[in-house]
Formats: sequence, C-alpha cells, structure tokens
Amino acid sequence: MNEHISSAYDRDLEGITTLIMKMGGLVEEAILKAAKSLADRDVELAEEVREGDKVIDAIEIQINEEAARTIALRAPVSKDLRSVLTVLRLAASLERIGDYAKNIAKRTSVLVEMNPVNGSDAALRRMAREVEQMLKDTLDSYIRGDADLAEDVRQRDQEVDQMYNALFREFLTFMMEDPRNITACMHLHFMAKNIERMGDLTTNMAEQVIYQVTGEMPDEARPKGDKTAYVTDPS
Amino acid sequence: MEDMVHVDRAMSTEQDIKISAKGVQVHYADTHAIRDVDVDIDDKTVTAFIGPSGCGKSTFLRCINRMNDTIDIARVTGDIRIDGEDIYDPKVDPVQLRAKVGMVFQKPNPFPKSIYDNVAYGPKIHGLARNKADLDEIVEKSLRKAALWDEAKDRLTAPGTGLSGGQQQRLCIARAIATAPEVLLMDEPCSALDPIATAQVEELIDELRRSFSVVIVTHSMQQAARVSQKTAFFHLGNLVEYDDTDKIFTNPQDPRTESYISGRIG
Repeated sequence: MNEHISSAYDRDLEGITTLIMKMGGLVEEAILKAAKSLADRDVELAEEVREGDKVIDAIEIQINEEAARTIALRAPVSKDLRSVLTVLRLAASLERIGDYAKNIAKRTSVLVEMNPVNGSDAALRRMAREVEQMLKDTLDSYIRGDADLAEDVRQRDQEVDQMYNALFREFLTFMMEDPRNITACMHLHFMAKNIERMGDLTTNMAEQVIYQVTGEMPDEARPKGDKTAYVTDPS
Repeated sequence: MEDMVHVDRAMSTEQDIKISAKGVQVHYADTHAIRDVDVDIDDKTVTAFIGPSGCGKSTFLRCINRMNDTIDIARVTGDIRIDGEDIYDPKVDPVQLRAKVGMVFQKPNPFPKSIYDNVAYGPKIHGLARNKADLDEIVEKSLRKAALWDEAKDRLTAPGTGLSGGQQQRLCIARAIATAPEVLLMDEPCSALDPIATAQVEELIDELRRSFSVVIVTHSMQQAARVSQKTAFFHLGNLVEYDDTDKIFTNPQDPRTESYISGRIG
C-alpha cells in the first residue's frame, strides 16, 4: 500500500500497530509464564504474571484512545477504516487472553499448596505452548497482512480443542479414582478451559486479520473440536 | 427524524435505470477528456462522481444535459439515453432537454432579479404556468422543496443576490427544480458554502431524491459518502469503479480507487 499524502496519518496508524504488537508480545509472554509457573510450582513467577496484566490492560486503553482519535480526526475509509476497526477488536481479544493467563497464575498460587496431579501439568503446558504459537502466528499474519497464515491459525484451533477434550476426560478419571484429587482437578480443569478459550479468542483475532486484509469476514464454519459439552460418565 | 432518513436510505435497493450511457467519448480539440465510459444511473437515487481534478467527472456530468454543446471545440460521441431516449438525437431540442435535466453549479449564480423572478423564470419561458396563480404556486412549491420558503416568503421581491451564499445556492436549486425536471445535475454545489449551509443542502439533496435522479460531482469524499447511494470514481478520463457507495468506501476493488479515497499517493 502506498503512503498517505498526510505523513502524520501514516505515523498515527503505525503507532497503533506498534502498540498492538507490544501488547501481543506481553500476552504471549504471560501465557508462557503462567504455564511455566504451574509446571515449576513457581509462586513468584505466577505473581509476576498477575502484576504484568495491569500493563496489558493499560495498553488496551491506550489503543482504544488512539483508535478513537484517528476515527475523529482522520475519518478513515476503506482499508484504513478496516485497520482501525481491527486494532480495536484485536486489543479487546488480547486483553481477554491476558485475563485468562492471570487467572491461571492465580490458581497456580493455590495449587502449589496441594499434592500434584499426575502428568497434568505437562499436558497443560503443551496446550499453552500450542496456543502461544497460534497467537504468535496471528500477530505475524497481522503485521505481514498474510491472510493465508491467519486461515492456517483458524484451522489449528481444533487441535487445542482436542487437547482440552483429552484433559477433560483425564480429570474426570482422576477425580473418580480419588476424591481427594477433586479440588486440584477442578482448578486444573478451569486452567485447561482458560487455555481453550484463549485458543478461541486467538481464532477470532485470526478472522479479524482476514477481514482487514480481504475486506470480508470468513463465513464458512471453522472446524470445532470441543466435544466436552456432550460428555457423560467415562466408561 | 434523522432515523427516518436512514430507514429510507436503507430501503433503496432495486431501482429503475434513468440514464444509460454507453461508449461515451469526449474530446476538447486534441485532448481526450472522457474515454469510453459506460454507466447506468438509477432513478430516485443520488449518484456521486468523485475523482481528482481534471479526471473528467464534470465533463461527463455536462454531457448529460448537453452543456458541452456550448463549447465549440468539444466533441461528444457515444450513446446517452434518458428513459431510453437518445438525448443526442438531432430531433431533441437542447433547451427542452435542459428543462428536463436541471443543473446547479459550484458558485451560486442567481439572476440579478427578485427571488420570485429567479424561480418563476424557467416555468414562464417553458410555458408551464397558465396564469399568475399557477406561477405563484410553482414558486412556493419550489422554494419549499429547496427549504428556502420560510426564510424567503416575506421578501420575494427582494433581489436574489442579496441572500447569503447558502441561501443563494438553495435559490438556484429552487430555480432548477421549478421546471419539474426529472434529473438534477449538481457540480460541486457545496464547495462555496460553510458547513451549516452544506449540511442544509445535503439534507435537501436527500429530500430531492424522492422526486428526482440526482447526480452530484464533489471533491469532498465525505460528502459523497454522506449523500449518495452510488458512487463512480473517475481517473484520467476513465470510469475506474462504479458501485454502491458503502462498498466503495469500505472495500473498493480497484487500487486506484483505494488510493484516492484514503488520501494516498497513487
């Protein structure tokens, strides 16, 4: 895309993009740190994630203000309008993902007081890594204007859903085996659910990137892998 | 009230074609000003022509009521039809055509006559009024449609040139619609007006759409976005893109349109 005749307009749009990338970087870091704090039973690291969320929230507010200012002063149209609408939605999704990471960190502080549940930490960490990778690719697709990469992310969400299904069943089994696991498993299940929701939000972000690049929201239904709503007793 | 306007705008879907142009070319001596333009303009719709200076949008507008006939070096070829009738047919009287296709210009240009006479002039020479009462009615109706009646009714005998710029432009619109035209051409009607007068004229354009097919040339992209349902983008004498206005301003298909409307170096 060519430059605007008004170079200040370009600087404004670039400034907002930079903020999104900065926010995205912090959220990626929060996801990884939250998962690591659980795996390593590291309360200090968990506390760091909870503190870090304040910065993420502050950037979201800044992005909203910058976007409103751009709309008011520049009356963006066409691709510029889509960029501004996109940053608003990306910022909102990133903020939610940050909240989920914070919630995982909170539960970690509680979980360290309990007996570890066999192997679940590693599974959660794998799931978190997958989502973090999806988010990284989404941010790359955003900065490069690459709708194909965004579509690839969109398809990958079902893998996260499958990991979540597997964990869901595993937690049920652990709880049935020994009721003393129930408290820990409930917390772990919420963590898994949080990561699964992060995946959904990342998928929304990828769709928003496709909208920004092509001007149209992808309409065909994407594959959904979360089947836990239909789960009955494990057999 | 504003909501009602929006509802009305959203309702305009399928329209009859009022003006149909095919293979239109315009030459000014050696300059090729319009290159093979095809366009169908809907009835009861505001169509905006946008594009950089010298792109041919005003030239094309002036083809629609044969204003280019008055320029010796201008040569128009191709086919332009209003309601299926070829307006360049030798049997068509350009004066009669211009009664049917009214025009409002960039600079308000009232006749140096009274407000009343400015509006009554057209109907009088075209014999549209049988008597004084008829004429009074046409004048009042036209001034009302142009949203000028309340401001002008007590000073109908005062000179039209004594009105403010915005009022003068609305007087010119009243004059243009007094002959009951079917098409109203507007060549940058608001570029000499302040924002309030501009808003009044834009509101008026939206009203006029109920009765006429309105074609407006404007340099203000925001104005095109606000008042029109269809937008045509001209560039170097070509019609680059013609589509629903919201499509043009959210997702134009041609990179030249994109560059122009978003203020980029194209």
